[in-house]
Amino acid sequence: MKYDVVVVGGRISGSIASLYASKQDVNVLMIEKNQEIGTPVQCAGGVTRSFFETLQMKPPQKLICSEIEGAILHAPDGEKFLTKNSLLQGYILERKMLDKALAIKSAEAGTDIMLKAQVKDLIIEKGQVKGVIVRHQGKLLEIPSKIVIGADGVESQVARMAGLHNGHNPQDLISCAQYEMVGLDIDPEILEFYFGFNKAPGGYVWIFPKGENRANVGLGVRYGANSAIYYLNKFISHLKGKIVELNVGGVPIGGPLKKTYSHGVLLTGDAAGHVDPVTGGGMHLSAVCSSLAGKIAAEAVINENLSSSYLSRYEKEWKKRIGKNLQRSLKYRALFDNMDDEELNSLIKFLNTNDFKSLSTLSILKLAREYPKLFLVLKNIL
Amino acid sequence: MIFQADLCGYCGACASVCPLGIIELNGYKIEVLEGCNNCKNCIHICPLGAFQEAKKDEI
Repeated sequence: MKYDVVVVGGRISGSIASLYASKQDVNVLMIEKNQEIGTPVQCAGGVTRSFFETLQMKPPQKLICSEIEGAILHAPDGEKFLTKNSLLQGYILERKMLDKALAIKSAEAGTDIMLKAQVKDLIIEKGQVKGVIVRHQGKLLEIPSKIVIGADGVESQVARMAGLHNGHNPQDLISCAQYEMVGLDIDPEILEFYFGFNKAPGGYVWIFPKGENRANVGLGVRYGANSAIYYLNKFISHLKGKIVELNVGGVPIGGPLKKTYSHGVLLTGDAAGHVDPVTGGGMHLSAVCSSLAGKIAAEAVINENLSSSYLSRYEKEWKKRIGKNLQRSLKYRALFDNMDDEELNSLIKFLNTNDFKSLSTLSILKLAREYPKLFLVLKNIL
Repeated sequence: MIFQADLCGYCGACASVCPLGIIELNGYKIEVLEGCNNCKNCIHICPLGAFQEAKKDEI
C-alpha cells in the first residue's frame, strides 16, 4: 500500500482536498477515524451560496433543508433587528449527508477511503514527512506517501505530529452544543441569533431552521461558569419543541495557524484554523483552502518537488484568497469580545434606528475609531 | 482531572486544548494518557461537562 497523497480526515475538508487531488490523476487515500463519514455532526449546517460556487457544484437539492433569506438579531434586552441582506442568503444543509456526498464524489474521482482508521504517527525521514502510521482493524500499518494533508479537525494530530501546532489556547476555542428540535414556532427562511452574557457568555445562541417547524438550536460559549450544555438546556426550557439530536464540538476562532505547511505536509480546514473568528463558520473557507490543498499537493507530486518551499505556495495562495478577510474578522472579534450586554443593546438599537447618537456613550465608539470600517461593514452586511 | 466517559460527546475539543497532547480521540472513544498536569483546559472547554476537577488526593 503506497500513495502519492494521504489525506487525514474524511469530513468536508478532507473530502474536498482528496477530490481535488484525485482530479489530477495522482493516487490518493483518505483516512477517517470514524466508521462512517459525517458523524458525529459538529456543525449547524449553515452555508453561503459561495460554498457551492467555489466548488463549481450545483447545490444538491436533497441536502437542502431550507433556503435562508435573512436573520433576526436579538439583543440581550429583547430588542430585535431583522435584516435581509443578500450576503446572509444561503442554505441550511443536512450536514452529515453533505459530508457523505462529498466523500462519494471524491471516491468516484479515484480516492481510496479507509474508515475506522486512527493515525498514530507520521513517517519522517531527515525532516521530510513520508507517510503515516495507522491503526486499522487491529493492525499497525505503515502507509508511505509523498504528501500528507491534515484535514483532521480542531484536534488535529497531524498538526501536532508535524510540529505545526501544540494545541489551542482555550480562549481561542468556542465550546458549542446544539439540539436539533422539531415542533418549533419558527420562520423557515430566517436565522435567529440571541446575544447576552446570561444566555451565552462569550458567544451567542443560534436557531437555524431546517424546515417548517424543525431547527438546529445551539450555542457557543467562552468564559462560562458552566458548560455549553447547561446554557443550552436553560435556553430551550422556554421553547415548545422536542429534541431529536444532540451535537457538540469545539470551534477554533483564534485565526489561522502561523504556518500551515511543512516538508511534505499541508493543513486545511479546522486543523489549519480556517474558520471565521466572528461567526465560527468555516465551510465556505474549507471550499477555498481544501481545494487548493488538494490541487497543490497533486502538482507537487507531478512536479516531483515535495519541499517545504514548493508547498509554501499553498499558504501564499489561500492567504491571497481569504487571508485579509480572516485578519479583519479577528480584529472584529476582539472588538465584540470587549462589548458587554449594555453595549450590545445599544448596537442593535443603532442598527434598528440608524442613529449614531445611540452609540455616543459607548466604549465601542473609541474602539471603532481603530476599526472605522466596522460600521460600514455592519451597515453593508446587516 | 477526572473524565466521565458516559458524558462524552466525542467532539475532540478536549484533545485540541490539551497542552501535553495526552488526550486522544479514537472514533467513539476518548483515551486519557498518563501525565496530566492539571491545567484544567479540558474542564473549561468540554461542552458536556465530561471533565471534572480531581480532589487533591486523586491528582
